[in-house]
Amino acid sequence: MQSVLLSWLANSPALAVPYALAALGLIIGERSGVLSLGAEGLMLVGALAGVGAYLSFGGAPLLALLVAMVAAAVVSLLFAVLVVLLRVNQVIAGLALVFFCQGMTNLVGTTTGWANRTVSGLHDLPLYPMSELPVVGRILFTHDIVVYLTLPIFLIVSHFLFRTNYGLRLRSIGENPEAADAAGLNINLYRFAAVVGGSALVGLAGGYLSVVSAKIWIAGMTSGRGWIAVALVIFARWHPWRALLGALLFGGIEALIPQVAAAGIRVPEYFMLMTPYLATLGVMVWQGLRGKVDADAPAALGQPYVREERI
Amino acid sequence: MPDSNAALPPLAQGASWTDGLRLPLGRFVLEVRHDMPAWKQALIVGASILAGIFISAVILVAAGVPPGDLVGEVGSTVIDRQSFHAVLVQAGPLILVGIGASIAFRARFWNLGLEGQMVWGGIAATAVSIYQIGPEPLRLPVMALAAMLAGSAWVALPVFFRMKFAVNEIIATLLLNYVATYFLFDLLYGDWKDSGDAYPHSAQYAPAERLPDIGYSLNAALPIALGVMVIIWWLAEFSRFGFYLKFIYANTTMARLMGVPTQAVIWAAVLISGALAALAGFVISSGSEGRLTQGFFEGYGFSGVLIAFLARNNAVLAAIVAFLIAMLFVTGQSLQIFYQIPFAMVQMIQAIIVMCVAASEFFIRHRLRFQH
Repeated sequence: MQSVLLSWLANSPALAVPYALAALGLIIGERSGVLSLGAEGLMLVGALAGVGAYLSFGGAPLLALLVAMVAAAVVSLLFAVLVVLLRVNQVIAGLALVFFCQGMTNLVGTTTGWANRTVSGLHDLPLYPMSELPVVGRILFTHDIVVYLTLPIFLIVSHFLFRTNYGLRLRSIGENPEAADAAGLNINLYRFAAVVGGSALVGLAGGYLSVVSAKIWIAGMTSGRGWIAVALVIFARWHPWRALLGALLFGGIEALIPQVAAAGIRVPEYFMLMTPYLATLGVMVWQGLRGKVDADAPAALGQPYVREERI
Repeated sequence: MPDSNAALPPLAQGASWTDGLRLPLGRFVLEVRHDMPAWKQALIVGASILAGIFISAVILVAAGVPPGDLVGEVGSTVIDRQSFHAVLVQAGPLILVGIGASIAFRARFWNLGLEGQMVWGGIAATAVSIYQIGPEPLRLPVMALAAMLAGSAWVALPVFFRMKFAVNEIIATLLLNYVATYFLFDLLYGDWKDSGDAYPHSAQYAPAERLPDIGYSLNAALPIALGVMVIIWWLAEFSRFGFYLKFIYANTTMARLMGVPTQAVIWAAVLISGALAALAGFVISSGSEGRLTQGFFEGYGFSGVLIAFLARNNAVLAAIVAFLIAMLFVTGQSLQIFYQIPFAMVQMIQAIIVMCVAASEFFIRHRLRFQH
């Protein structure tokens, strides 16, 4: 029992990383007022690009993750043009982006032959001497480099959003673009940058899934994690640190699935696989029970801004 | 977390990036159009659909389909007897999901759980078949009814969550798709697996549980779908319920203040939506497949959304668009067989068309003018 508990806790951080990074990327975009439903698709793009780069450039995992970020950012340009420049309904554009990416990654993965090929991924980097500590060592200090880097990434983004002028401007655009425009801010430029920059983090989450976690690319491998990340942003009420907590919760739930079987508890396999989705729904209902969900949302979230239509 | 920024620094002047793209001779300015003649709107939307098809064709050619063969494959869906037959079979469920999506969208409810509701439609119909509920002559109507009830029940969950706990229905309905799919897998790999072979599907339905033939070896799916189309068209355009929906779509708060029972109307619209999606699942299981299969619902969810979007939530237009999407499906199936192009390609093309049409709305609503 004790070993089950230990390996559950030790596996949780790595499984939490994709949720955490994707949610953080979404928070950046949504703080500027752009509702980003495309995470599921951009994670797939990152996942495929990561494996593709790994196979093409002779197995450099960090380079592969970088390519995953760039690829997702490039694809998100399409979304940014649609919603920021052409003022397309953000729900429609986000959904279209997801299905575009699902089809495109499937097509590219098949024609290039990157699908279903294993990669050796990223090695664990035990932080000596902390990793030698009895229990904590395995849970906290025996992970790959991306897990360690997640914390600084959160620190940087949080600092950017809440402690810099640019962050303040970005948030003001998400709250009240009319006022921000009147104050001389370039709404379109900020939103463009927020969407593309945030999408790079979503791409990193996807690349981590394929290159580091699964060590393979399979069509549709994100299996709803992007949607869970979108839910996580609402649960976190658009706050990075709450998103990190939520991601740990979902990582923990995902890590629990194999442990339940290992502990000898017999639950039908497919019911076990439902748990992340049901847990997400449960969390959203619980959130609703506690009070108004939308109160913390950026006030202009989901609304295209057209200066000429300003009242 | 309190903000430490006391004040913004001095403002940049004339921040203009797109709303006033400066060129040596002048600049582009954006104007809001107040109206545009209908024929011009149709022209712009038509052009954008053509642009989407062109972009998709370029991608497919790049993926290795010879351009001549591509034209041939698309053309054969209407010329070739067998392919046209396949299009007609495919159109039935697509019309149902398209109309199902549009009735929910009319109530401003994003029902993205069409696939999950289809799954429950298939499961409920198959349960009636397996447990032999009802006398044999009435078996088919019982199956259809069970399917529709199951679909409504499945979509009732996110409606309840939204009304009661303000849970975002986009995410709730999407997540429930995964839950429904895993439940289907549990049945098909477990208790309901056909013991006759190794495939994950249920036992073949009895002949009385199959949709009847209406001639030309077509099953009753298409007439059912067209019947639904007429009913929903009447409901949406001529009934009091349809009027309420229009009011809610235009301004929900105003509708409530004017005494429209908004909650009841939204409930009814979304339950109908779920029932229609489940009916689509039933006509596939009982019609073309003849059993419950593992992936009978795949791709229909987004197609339903796309059909409703392109048809502007109009039932009759939805049937026409669904027919065109059925052509795309059949083309995709033959490309999959002859050129190993994954069927997900169909989703990509649909997404490209949605993006093009959505983008074209910008040019209907705005005018870009060059100013000296």
